[in-house]
Amino acid sequence: MKEVKPLKEFEGTASYVLDPELRKIVNISIALEMPLLLKGEPGTGKTLLAHAIAQDLGLKLIVLNVKSSMKAVDALYQYDTLTRLNDARFGDSRRNVKNIEEYIRMGKIGQAFISESRVVLLIDEIDKADSDFQDDLLDVLDQMSFDIIEIDKTIKARHRPIVIITSNAKKDLSDPFLGRCNFHHIAFPSPEIMHNIVKAHFPEIEKNVASAVINTFYHLRRVPNVEKKPSTRELINWIRALQNDPSFKASQLGKDGYVPYLGVLFKKSLDLEQAKMFINN
Amino acid sequence: MFVPFFYELRANGIPISPTSFLRLQKALNLGLVVSLEDFYIAARSIMVKSERHFDVYDRLFAHYFEGVEFKNPLDKELEDAVRSMLLEWLKDPKELAKMLGLDPGEFNKYTPEELVKYFLDRLKEQTERHDGGSRWVGTGGTSPVGHSGHHPGGMRVGGTGGGGQAIKVALERRWKNYAFDGPIDASQMSEGLKRLRHLKPEGPKDLVNIDKTIYQTMKNGGEIEIVFDRRLKDKLKLVLMMDNGGWSMDPYIDVCRTLFTYATTSFKQLKTYYFHNCIYDRVYEDPQRSLRPRKTADFVRDDPETRLIIVGDASMAPYELGDDHGCIEYGEPQSRSGHWWLSFLARTFPHSVWLNPKTREYWEITAGAYTISKIAEIFPMFDLTLEGLEAAVKYLVRK
Repeated sequence: MKEVKPLKEFEGTASYVLDPELRKIVNISIALEMPLLLKGEPGTGKTLLAHAIAQDLGLKLIVLNVKSSMKAVDALYQYDTLTRLNDARFGDSRRNVKNIEEYIRMGKIGQAFISESRVVLLIDEIDKADSDFQDDLLDVLDQMSFDIIEIDKTIKARHRPIVIITSNAKKDLSDPFLGRCNFHHIAFPSPEIMHNIVKAHFPEIEKNVASAVINTFYHLRRVPNVEKKPSTRELINWIRALQNDPSFKASQLGKDGYVPYLGVLFKKSLDLEQAKMFINN
Repeated sequence: MFVPFFYELRANGIPISPTSFLRLQKALNLGLVVSLEDFYIAARSIMVKSERHFDVYDRLFAHYFEGVEFKNPLDKELEDAVRSMLLEWLKDPKELAKMLGLDPGEFNKYTPEELVKYFLDRLKEQTERHDGGSRWVGTGGTSPVGHSGHHPGGMRVGGTGGGGQAIKVALERRWKNYAFDGPIDASQMSEGLKRLRHLKPEGPKDLVNIDKTIYQTMKNGGEIEIVFDRRLKDKLKLVLMMDNGGWSMDPYIDVCRTLFTYATTSFKQLKTYYFHNCIYDRVYEDPQRSLRPRKTADFVRDDPETRLIIVGDASMAPYELGDDHGCIEYGEPQSRSGHWWLSFLARTFPHSVWLNPKTREYWEITAGAYTISKIAEIFPMFDLTLEGLEAAVKYLVRK
């Protein structure tokens, strides 16, 4: 692994509103070459952070979307036995059937390791897979290398990728895994920060409209017994919907139960009913 | 450097490995940390791996780096316990005055808040259970505007120059709501229950089995034969019995409802039954416990591999459990004692647990302590917290 020129510090981008605390954590993790594990409610921008880092530092982003049935080896490489079997039987491809290496395909982590330049590797929603997945990835992320058993070859990272891992679960990941990561929990943004986020997405929005919408939004987050509280993503979509409605009046918002497009914020029917009851009382 | 701080974090229950402490030293050596704010952030992100520990970290940090009194959460609990006890005793002021060694006349001058403080001071003098320096700070948690424990009164002003920002941030206690003791919520519940799934092949054969395909192809002398398998589906049978009667279960309705919702959405083969306080001859499929009864004895015909989860506070009068006529519900048939029926269920379903919405630390001191201990002899009992649910699920899935 040869060292590349030191990266500049991560500063945040125009479309991603960055908390100074988080910026420091990102930079410390990059300097220590440690994966950064991010937890927090859905919609607090965990995934977007990786995109912002890649954009700001001018690096390529490789995203591994973890699925529940995924095995760690799937993220590293795949040995395409069926194609090889097919080639062996019919022999009409240009691949050399005797050479197993031609049937090895790199998974997302493999791609990050063999990339010509340093990349940002996002392992998204790692909690979806079972804990074996995390345990199997431990050494890979620690050593930045893995073996392809079929051809007895070790793949070593050419450039140590910047690894960002996200998890939605309230449950903690396994201890050995946590031990190898830096950790941050992104809290739900305060109304002040939310103003900046809205501003970043809608530069044209009028101040009083933004205030009215954000106040109503935080009010609605207090609806009791809701399974999925509206998050930043829902707020952005809601503002988009409101802006496209010419009859929308910001000054009336929240008064006498006037909250249009409530369904954009509450996507489960039971939640929507709870919210309607909450508004009308 | 900062070794005592490290040990103090560990002593207060934050599981920090020496490796991560050394990693923090590395970060310090790399020159990444130039101010106390940096140190606050770096140390937390490198060493503290769960938001549930952030609050303890904040308080320890403030304590360690500015000499702010660190208030042990246990003290707060004690304070709450004292308050509820005092409120009970206040119904009989004379008795209480005698107990505290106060003149009844003088006693009346105190407000309940002052009484709590007085009592705690006395307690401390007597036992000295508290290590040096930490004082009972009477203001925490007692302010009527709800600043409970937010800003401990004993903060020493001054101290080190600079770094005030980090202390201030730490003192804001932003992570209070993430601390461990909060009640279990919906998503944690679904996380916990997911582990219960028991996958078995079912449905159409539409999944290629590569190993068998290769084997068959070789057997055929190279003629490809693709072998398909069935997909894995959850085949776990689950019976949930919930105590939904009586005022003693009222505080736990929300957490039980969440458990129920998640159990119904996660498991296809789930049956729910209801009972009041204890299980006798019948349980009911309807929450009103009147329309659709099922004989408890009939469960013997069910698959013994079925997992049984009973949810209840297990708190009742001893005769409700032990007496052959102990059922307090009028008109409810009863042939044997609740204890007998519970043992019967435990024999019928070897994989069974009792989930108690009362948290474990109260089991020995609550009004139902006797029946809780008796029932815990029949069923492994777990509390309905994240840790408890995990342990229960672990118990249920074992072979």
